[in-house]
Amino acid sequence: MTHPQDLTLRQQADAIRHGELSAKELLEATLERIGERDASINSTPVVFNELSQVQISQAPAGPLFGVPITVKDMYALPWRAARNGTSYNLIPAGASGPYRSLRDAGVIVVGIANQHELGIGSTGIYSAYGPTHNPWDPSRCAGGSSGGSTAGVAARLVAGSLASDSGGSTRIPASWCGVIGLKLTYGSVPYDGYFGAATTFSAPGVVARDAGDTRMLTAAMLQRPLPQQSGSGLRVGMVREPFWNDVDAETAAVCTRALTLAGWKVSEVKIENLELASAAFLARLIAEAGIPSLEVLASVSAPTRALLLAGMLAPARFVPRADRVRAAVRYSLAAVFETVDFLVWPTTPTTAASVQDPWVTIPSGRVTVDVPNVRQNSLANLTGAPAISIPIGLSGSQMPIGLQVLGPWGSEARLLDAAEHIERVSDRSFVSLVPALAR
Amino acid sequence: MSNFEDWARATYRQAGIEVDDNDLALVELIYAGALGQLEMLDRIDLEEFPARGVDLRHAPKAT
Repeated sequence: MTHPQDLTLRQQADAIRHGELSAKELLEATLERIGERDASINSTPVVFNELSQVQISQAPAGPLFGVPITVKDMYALPWRAARNGTSYNLIPAGASGPYRSLRDAGVIVVGIANQHELGIGSTGIYSAYGPTHNPWDPSRCAGGSSGGSTAGVAARLVAGSLASDSGGSTRIPASWCGVIGLKLTYGSVPYDGYFGAATTFSAPGVVARDAGDTRMLTAAMLQRPLPQQSGSGLRVGMVREPFWNDVDAETAAVCTRALTLAGWKVSEVKIENLELASAAFLARLIAEAGIPSLEVLASVSAPTRALLLAGMLAPARFVPRADRVRAAVRYSLAAVFETVDFLVWPTTPTTAASVQDPWVTIPSGRVTVDVPNVRQNSLANLTGAPAISIPIGLSGSQMPIGLQVLGPWGSEARLLDAAEHIERVSDRSFVSLVPALAR
Repeated sequence: MSNFEDWARATYRQAGIEVDDNDLALVELIYAGALGQLEMLDRIDLEEFPARGVDLRHAPKAT
């Protein structure tokens, strides 16, 4: 018999709706699986055993009634403060906006997804809960900052997770763990009780194993239907420099193969002032990151502490200039979307970095992986646009590779059409890949 | 002690933050890298980059 967590999220919801599986049975199977499988990846360090039962008794009969998910540590829950990967209660307990949307759809929050501390990192190595490991190879990073969300979904502990994305934090770990990660359009859901409320970059992210599950969770988040259309015949733009040229050759080749398979009309495009986008993102990011309390600052890892301390020194004069660049880049992006439907490039420059040595070699040199990871992803955060990472196969070393598709503001449904199209033309071979840990 | 160290230590002292040499070595590395990138913004022509309102939830309005 198929384990309930080997079903898709929509199959779980259907099975409960049709009485083939009870919410209680699904919850018990989920808790058991987390207990069996999570020790080597540490994706879900906090599990709500009794509280999950209480949630079932109180859940409305929504489209996701009884479906267990995890929630990143950036969202306040009625019974737990958000800690943002630290040991401190940073946002008091309460029903955060994104949580409310999912609760009203009937989901059960079964645990807290691990994350890089304070969301400041793309590896998931530093967290008060310990590092999150990649289910495809526990010696590699799950990614970050939402690595607990993606590792848990890839390992089939849960079928969906609420993540977040301030500079690729949903898409980077999705790429490294071989699952879908969708960054929503900025401000598309209420932000109260969410760490992203303090920034102009962050958006909630949705993590699931395939496009159909992602669509269902995203519709619940956005509280509107996301009608499905054909994803064939799309016009997609490639921005060669730096997004295709400064990545590992195998990663670029696998992404190119996926585009060929998709049969989309591909053209090379240029985004005016793109060369300034990373600087504008950095200036704003530093200005908005701020410094947590001295107590928290003393508790975080040396690299996170140094990043925060360095940010304190950055001159504020760059911020108004960054805002001018930000506005210009948004106009450039909108102009590009008059000629293509989407932009495409590798989500991450390499497959998952090593936990012991998170440096990678790409054409521009050997760098700490955070730098090119954020470069590949921050355009969506700078502009507010949505973007998705779609699993498109494995490297020679059997590690997942993700293709990023960036769309116009509010185009979540069409991004999911693109992901669904890739699933169809690949006979679902990419989304059916399962790490050895979960076989 | 370098000028950077003097300045950084003074800034942190003012904020009530104690730092050690290891902190400062990492901070100096990160700060130098960040500043190198941020200084690109000093070179933009402000006439080419007018100040405009940004509503991140939507596409920019046509001009």
